[in-house]
Amino acid sequence: MKLARVQKGLSQQNLADLVGATRQTIGLIEKGKYNPTLSLCLKITKNLNRTLNDLFGEEL
Amino acid sequence: MSTKPFLNMDERSKGIAGKIIAVMYFLTIISMQGVSIYRQLILKQSIYDFQDFAIILTINSLFLITALLYFGAIPFQKIKVKVILGFYGLIVVLGSLFTYAKYNIFLGQNLSILALFDKLIIIFAVSGLIVLFFTLFSFLGKRKMDKELKE
Repeated sequence: MKLARVQKGLSQQNLADLVGATRQTIGLIEKGKYNPTLSLCLKITKNLNRTLNDLFGEEL
Repeated sequence: MSTKPFLNMDERSKGIAGKIIAVMYFLTIISMQGVSIYRQLILKQSIYDFQDFAIILTINSLFLITALLYFGAIPFQKIKVKVILGFYGLIVVLGSLFTYAKYNIFLGQNLSILALFDKLIIIFAVSGLIVLFFTLFSFLGKRKMDKELKE
């Protein structure tokens, strides 16, 4: 998710503002220390133009 | 000018706040019960000296269980008469034991069986009202949930 955000030229704060979260929450999601709700995941994927699988899918 | 709200809480901070509030609420209730027992058994105060505590604890418990039932925190498939009657029986038994302890142990009034029977009528009625209250809000909560699922 961090890569997708950086590729889009957004800071953690920018993305947080777009999805209605705090910078800390975005940071924790990127570090894998917080499991966001599906609703927040969808907002993030929409703003980064990615799919759920791209950002949150586990590699098998 | 920034339009951010003063308390910019997101789902994570709301979740953390909710958990902390729940723990603090639990500790407050437990502390109040501890204080009641301390006043009663150590300070030997009359039970009437902390009736305000008892009322707060009772109302809190009633509203807590009602809210848990209404908002679906206590899951159940169907509202079964057998379960309601079992719950009613449990409250009656606990209420009777508490009443016996209150009058014969804590207040030292040594109630006769006949006088205790009079109290039992009140216990049956109050327990019935409590169960009716819980059943009503369980039903309303279930109806609300079913309605949301249909939409």
